[in-house]
Amino acid sequence: MKTSFKTLSVTYDDGLVHLEINQPPSNRMNSLFFNELSSLVDELCKKDGISAIVISGKGRHFSSGADLDDLLQKAVHPEKELSSSGTFSFFERNHFSFLYFEELNIPVISAIRGVCLGSAMELALFSHFRFCSEDAVMGLPESTFNLIPGIGGTSHLIKLAGLAKGLELVLHGEMFSAADALQYGIVDKILPRKEVVPFALEFAKKISVNYYKEKKTLYLNSAA
Amino acid sequence: MSEPAGMIHWEAQDSIGILTLDAPRGNFLSDPEFIAPEQLKDLLDQDGAKALVICGAGKHFSGGARLDDLFKLAANPVHLAERMNKGKSLLDFIENLDIPVIAVINGICFGGGLEIALACHIRICSEKALFAFPECNHSLMPGMGGTIRLPGKISWASSLETILGGDMLNAQEALNMKIVDEVLPQEAGMEKALLLAKKMTKDRPRKVIRYILQALRNYKSMPLAEAMKEETRMFCELAYEEMERRKNENLL
Repeated sequence: MKTSFKTLSVTYDDGLVHLEINQPPSNRMNSLFFNELSSLVDELCKKDGISAIVISGKGRHFSSGADLDDLLQKAVHPEKELSSSGTFSFFERNHFSFLYFEELNIPVISAIRGVCLGSAMELALFSHFRFCSEDAVMGLPESTFNLIPGIGGTSHLIKLAGLAKGLELVLHGEMFSAADALQYGIVDKILPRKEVVPFALEFAKKISVNYYKEKKTLYLNSAA
Repeated sequence: MSEPAGMIHWEAQDSIGILTLDAPRGNFLSDPEFIAPEQLKDLLDQDGAKALVICGAGKHFSGGARLDDLFKLAANPVHLAERMNKGKSLLDFIENLDIPVIAVINGICFGGGLEIALACHIRICSEKALFAFPECNHSLMPGMGGTIRLPGKISWASSLETILGGDMLNAQEALNMKIVDEVLPQEAGMEKALLLAKKMTKDRPRKVIRYILQALRNYKSMPLAEAMKEETRMFCELAYEEMERRKNENLL
């Protein structure tokens, strides 16, 4: 049975799952989104025959990231953090949702158009491939709000961009362009805006036969 | 305790500590522990440093250990092992600092000098910088973590070639191999390092800097699930404090 979600749109095409963040225009990730994402992960866990997942945002942008006000409302004193409704378990669960995508042995691709910031960037970093539009703007701006990336962003960014560039991007919190992201090794391919999602879907179909995570470069070269 | 004070020079600028290796003829290190970790910590605390820059006085970063000094120490194997271990603890201390550490490399960066640079988080070098692990040419091997930190940063194959081959690499080669992060014209390195340090830390609360570096360290040293749990814990703590701050300022 398929659950219907408010903040997510999920399309099944045979084994290909297209997941769209559905809160236009900015596709902000509020707590409802994170809860629904977690339910979707539960649902996908039980499902057989999934061959690939493509993640994108509805409309102009991928997502502007977590809804900070909504999130800070949930913050409770660390010492009172005992109940299962606390921020800690909320974020732990989000971590688990993101990790689910990374650990899959089928290709997971983020198709990034427009803005992709904070938690949205983190979600994209847990994908195996990142394709973005020429006008994409990415970043982990958490430190500019006196916070740190909360869902694995720091370690994942540094894995791709190296310690020096990663540390600079996370500590300074600056946004970077598609061209910079490609140079830093954060995205794998830049495409014209209109082609990003169709290309990702096509690519997903093509490589999902006998997919091996370790052969990422090979797949990318074959798609060039 | 030996007296390492003669090998370094310290200053601070706008909450950025600058540790200059300063020893005769190319900053050769007569003792692997060129400054005691406690002393370095005191200096950082005293100046409230939010970032650390390590560089060499004069034309070179450091030529590493001087062979005759080393062989003198080697006469007493227990003593040598003790000095090497002290040096290693110092490099571990630098690598694990809670603030960003940038190496500015001019001229020669050999052996122990390269091992110091590899313990830093970011390496900026001048066009004329030269890198090498020359130990093998003297029937020795890197002894201050070089064989461990180099393959942690570049490919295993390139590490083997660099360490066993003992050949010199110029700045461009070092950049291509990702031993250094940026190559700049001579003299521009220090300016860039200070600018970068300032950009990264000026507007950041100390706690945010500390937690980001801690999160990175955890990622290297802990099982993934544990590191993620720690990151969430640190995030939630900061989120709570930020929420309180905003409440107090009626922003929320």
